[in-house]
Amino acid sequence: MKTLIKVKPKDYKVGEIVKIDFMAMHPMESGMRKDKDTGQIVPAHFINEVNFFFNDKMLTKMVTWESLSVNPVLSISMKVSATGTLKVLAKDNKGDNVESSVAITPKG
Amino acid sequence: MERRSFLKGFGAVSACVALVPTIASAADEAKKVKGPNEMSVESALNAITGGKAVTPSSKVSLSAPEIAENGAVVPVKVSVESPMSANDYVKAIHVLATKNNNSRCANVYLTPANGEATFATRIKLGSTQDVLAVAEMSNGTFLSAKQNVKVTIGGCG
Repeated sequence: MKTLIKVKPKDYKVGEIVKIDFMAMHPMESGMRKDKDTGQIVPAHFINEVNFFFNDKMLTKMVTWESLSVNPVLSISMKVSATGTLKVLAKDNKGDNVESSVAITPKG
Repeated sequence: MERRSFLKGFGAVSACVALVPTIASAADEAKKVKGPNEMSVESALNAITGGKAVTPSSKVSLSAPEIAENGAVVPVKVSVESPMSANDYVKAIHVLATKNNNSRCANVYLTPANGEATFATRIKLGSTQDVLAVAEMSNGTFLSAKQNVKVTIGGCG
């Protein structure tokens, strides 16, 4: 699973609210689709947990299901309280675990 | 030239078909194939609220397209009016697709540190249906908003 975190806008100050976009490259198989060649049902394979931490404190916890689109984008808001690190932990139902992080550096 | 454009078109159509597996399987085999996490919207709501009443409210705004040509990628945005202070905030936002095999899309548990109660993503819809957003407030009440999304099957061809 490849992941990417984007913070918008690029420049922000302490106290401002920024948008956090978390993107993951993932097939998000629903477990209902048949493989065209083999006729077999493709087993479900989807991201089921995404947790956002700011400076190791829980910011947002998400439980997600197969109804999310392929290569999902999850967007939330965050109030910038200090300089620090935003860490995102994502898990899928096959046990793939990915940790990604981005530095939060407010200006002024 | 004609042959070339035909082949191009065919390629585009088959690419689209590959992109919308859920639509095809949900429409053709809704009765045959059951998803591994099948759950109706009633039981999903019950699991979220524990049987409490859900009130439609203008505080919850749900934006989704009225007509989605491609049901595999339907952008959904939820925002809830709230001061997001330590005593008064939105605990969770739940997004449900009422007629999907598994109606649950995402349960998002927020904290006051979010500053604003917003959540946006893209979901898959198997057919024309209502998308439901349920907001769980810190005082224990549940507010909701819903919108009907018309899904054009094979709309990419």
